[in-house]
Amino acid sequence: MRYFLTSLRAVFMKDIVTELRARQVLPTMVVLGMLIVWVLRIACETAAGSTAIIGPVAFWIAFLFAGLLAQERSFATEEQNDCMDGLLLAPIDAGTIYLAKLLVNIVMLCIFEIIIVPVVIIAFGLRIGGHWPSLIGVLLLGNIAISSVGTLFSAIVQLCRTRGSLLSILVLVVLAPVMVPATFALLLKFGAIPAELAGTGALAFVGTFKTAVGYMVVFDAVFVTASWLLFGFAIKE
Amino acid sequence: MRRMLIVFTFILLTAALWLGLTKGSIEGPPANPDSPVRNIIYAHVPSSICSLLCFGVLFVAAIGVLSTGRQGWDQLAAATAEVGLVFATVLNLTGMIWSRAEWNTWWTASPRLISAAILWFLYVVLIILRSSLPGSTQRRARVCAVFAIIAFLDVPMVIISARFLPDIHRASFDFTSPWQYAAFFLSMIATVMLAGVLIALRTDLIRVNTLLEQEEY
Repeated sequence: MRYFLTSLRAVFMKDIVTELRARQVLPTMVVLGMLIVWVLRIACETAAGSTAIIGPVAFWIAFLFAGLLAQERSFATEEQNDCMDGLLLAPIDAGTIYLAKLLVNIVMLCIFEIIIVPVVIIAFGLRIGGHWPSLIGVLLLGNIAISSVGTLFSAIVQLCRTRGSLLSILVLVVLAPVMVPATFALLLKFGAIPAELAGTGALAFVGTFKTAVGYMVVFDAVFVTASWLLFGFAIKE
Repeated sequence: MRRMLIVFTFILLTAALWLGLTKGSIEGPPANPDSPVRNIIYAHVPSSICSLLCFGVLFVAAIGVLSTGRQGWDQLAAATAEVGLVFATVLNLTGMIWSRAEWNTWWTASPRLISAAILWFLYVVLIILRSSLPGSTQRRARVCAVFAIIAFLDVPMVIISARFLPDIHRASFDFTSPWQYAAFFLSMIATVMLAGVLIALRTDLIRVNTLLEQEEY
C-alpha cells in the first residue's frame, strides 16, 4: 500500500510539475472553453429565454472538448525521448500509472472548471442560489467520468496516425450515456425544466435529480474500475 | 455442413418473409389501416435482438483476446463488429420508418431511441478504431478488445431502457392471430441464424486475408 502511494505520487507529481512549468495545454484549454461559451452565448440571442437551457449545456460542451485536449496530452508527452518505455520499465503496476494519469487529468479539468464555471454563470446569467454544493458535486462527477475513459483511450490512440480525431470519437461515444443524465441534472438544478416534466420523454433516462446523480456515480465507479483493470492490456507492447 | 446451414437459413428467411407478408400481415396504424408499415416489426425486433447478441459475442471474443492472445478470437471480434453494425443499421432504419408512420416524426429523443443510436455509434467507432490501427499486430487486437469491453459496459443501459423506462416506444407488441406469432418467431429464428452464418463467413474471410498478408511479408 505504501509502495503504491509512493509510486502514485511520483508519477502524479512528474506530470503536474511538467504541466505547471511548461504550461503546454492549460492555456489552450481555457481559451477553447471560453470560445465555446462565447459562441453558444451568441447563438442564444436568436430566441428569448434560451440562455437558461443552453447555459447548463455549455458547461458540458466546454468540459468535454477541453478535457479531450488534456487527455490527449497525457500520453502524447510520453512519446518524446521514449519516455513511455522508461515508464513501463519502472517497477510500477500499470494500474498505478493509470490512476496517476487519471488524477492529473482530473486536477487539470478542475483548474479549468474553476476558471470556466464563473464565466458560464456570468455569460448566461444563471441563478444558482443555495445550490452550490450540488452543482459542484455534479460537475465533479462529470469530471471523473470524462477523465476516466479519456485517460484509457489516450493510451490506446498513441498507436495511430490520427490521434486527436480518433480520441475524440472514442471518448464522445462512450460518454454519451453519462452525458444525458449529466446534462439533465444541471437543467433540473438550474430550473430550466419544470419539476412536473421530470421523468418523461428523454428525461425518463434520468428521472429526478437524485436518480441522475445516482446514475453518474454508478457510471464513474464502473468505468474507473474497468479502465484501471484494462489499462495494462492497452499499453503492453 | 456449412453450405446446408446457409441454404436452410435462407429457406427459413424466405418462409418468414412470405408468412409475414401474407397470413401474418399486421393491420396498419389507426390513421391508415391499409398501410403495411407495421410488418416492419418482423425485421425490427429480430435485428434489435441480433445487434445486442452480437455485442455479447464481441464481449466474449474480447475476453478471449485478452486472456489467450489467440488471433482467432480477434478475427471473430472483427467479424462480429461488422455484422453487428449491419443489424444495428437495420434496427435504426426500420425504427425510423416505424416512427414516421406511427408518431409522425423520423426521430425523437426517447430513451430507447437514444440508446439504439448509441449502439450504432459504438459499432461504427469500433470499426473505425480497428481500421486506423496499423497492421494485424497483437497490440491492435488487444487495444480493440479493451475498447470492446468498455463499450459493452454501455450495453446494460440499452436493455434497461428497452424494458423498464416509460417511453413512447412500446415494450411489447400484441399480436392478434397465431399466424402473426408464427411469422414473428420464424423471423426471429431465421435472423439469429443469419447473424450466425454471416459472422462465420466473415470470420473465415478475415482469416484468409490475414494469411495472405502474412504470405506477402
